[in-house]
Amino acid sequence: MSEQLTLYLHKLSPYSQKVQLALTETNAPYRGYHVDLFNKPKWFTSKVNPVGKVPTLTYGGPSVDPEDPSPLSAKMTESNVILEFLADLYPDSGLLPKDPVLRAKVRFFVDATTKHIDTPFYDFVRGQGSYEDVLKGIEYVQGLLEEGGDFAVGDHYTIADACISPHLARLKTITETDLGKFAVGMGLKLGEELKGPKFTKFTKYAEQILERPSSKQTYDEEIVITYYKSAFVRTQ
Amino acid sequence: MPQEQITLYTAKVCPYAQRTEIALAEVGAPFKRYEIDLANKPEWYAPKVNPASKVPAIAYGGPDVPPENPSPESTKLAESLILVEFIGDLYPSSNILPADPVLRAKARFFIELVSTKFSPNYMKFASGNPEVTHTTLLAGVDAIQGILPDGAKYAVSDQYTIADIALAPFWARFNVLVQKGIGAYKDEERKSFLKALEDPKYAKFNGYVQRLLARQSFKSTFHEVRPLFWR
Repeated sequence: MSEQLTLYLHKLSPYSQKVQLALTETNAPYRGYHVDLFNKPKWFTSKVNPVGKVPTLTYGGPSVDPEDPSPLSAKMTESNVILEFLADLYPDSGLLPKDPVLRAKVRFFVDATTKHIDTPFYDFVRGQGSYEDVLKGIEYVQGLLEEGGDFAVGDHYTIADACISPHLARLKTITETDLGKFAVGMGLKLGEELKGPKFTKFTKYAEQILERPSSKQTYDEEIVITYYKSAFVRTQ
Repeated sequence: MPQEQITLYTAKVCPYAQRTEIALAEVGAPFKRYEIDLANKPEWYAPKVNPASKVPAIAYGGPDVPPENPSPESTKLAESLILVEFIGDLYPSSNILPADPVLRAKARFFIELVSTKFSPNYMKFASGNPEVTHTTLLAGVDAIQGILPDGAKYAVSDQYTIADIALAPFWARFNVLVQKGIGAYKDEERKSFLKALEDPKYAKFNGYVQRLLARQSFKSTFHEVRPLFWR
């Protein structure tokens, strides 16, 4: 019998969502537990993750209630470390290909997502980053995508897709709602620009990934919108 | 054992590049080593090997050509940590990647810690960035010591892994700087840092980094070259 997996997550967190996507795509049995980060339970910091962050994955040990974690389970943090762990636990899942060169390409895509999508996009949404940097980042990652491919690398869903999907979901939300601390209209403008011929490959890839059941199951757009409305009030 | 050729584009001074050289030495892989002069990069390097124009980079497979004339048929790969994992994947029986997934995750977490709490500070300190004081440096040491297992030789266990490979080149260069007083930082910061490290509470860390420096694959790939920017 395989070891227990419990994922401590938050429904707003793109980093938690990355892990949920990988688990869902692999059909791995796991327990998901939403941690109220704004009102952190004491047992979370004392027994699961002293830094108090999500995602945190526990693996092994006795099968217990998520609110009563066992000291016997291994605790893992950092979303990309957890993604690699899942790929190791499920070597035939395709989360990472078997071929060393393809594995390196998947990892390069993951790294590129962090540098060129994650950082510039959330900086922009928080009103601290530039619109141009978002576009440059998207263009860079677009350059890594294969022509006409359904997935970021190769012909199977990998941790590369899991890594970028949450940001793509939030990008779609922002471009449709214009929610964010950037200047009014810049979110909508971004959406328009991404529909142009320069970004066809990227937009097609994003649409396909977001159509997947795993994307739909793990992204609650309503609560993201509610949160963004309160978090990104523009001060005129 | 892969039959494909490996060409490594590297530079003696670069700690990122040394990571890949250590990994190749650990697994015993045959490879061609090509030194890139970082102050004077060849014109063909960015267009034919690494568009980011950085080292390390590997050209893998394709025909056996001289490094200065890379073939479009070889696969070009970059980013030091990705290359170290790649080398581990090419030589799975080398053990630089632990067999157990939980230990692998620990190794990768250690690497994350090095990347966030230690290696960025190396360059900042050396170039005299006032943000990085001896306190910042000690926080990095504390973070690393905090996750070193008790009674183990290396970062994750008694096995030398990608975690150790990630840190060794950075610690080594940093150590040279502070021991020899090279760099643009204030001398009081250097002295405070060295003094603090003498405290017995850092025995675990000090023992660990000494073992890193004593490792054969480290020694054979470390060139105590004075980096260009500190002339």
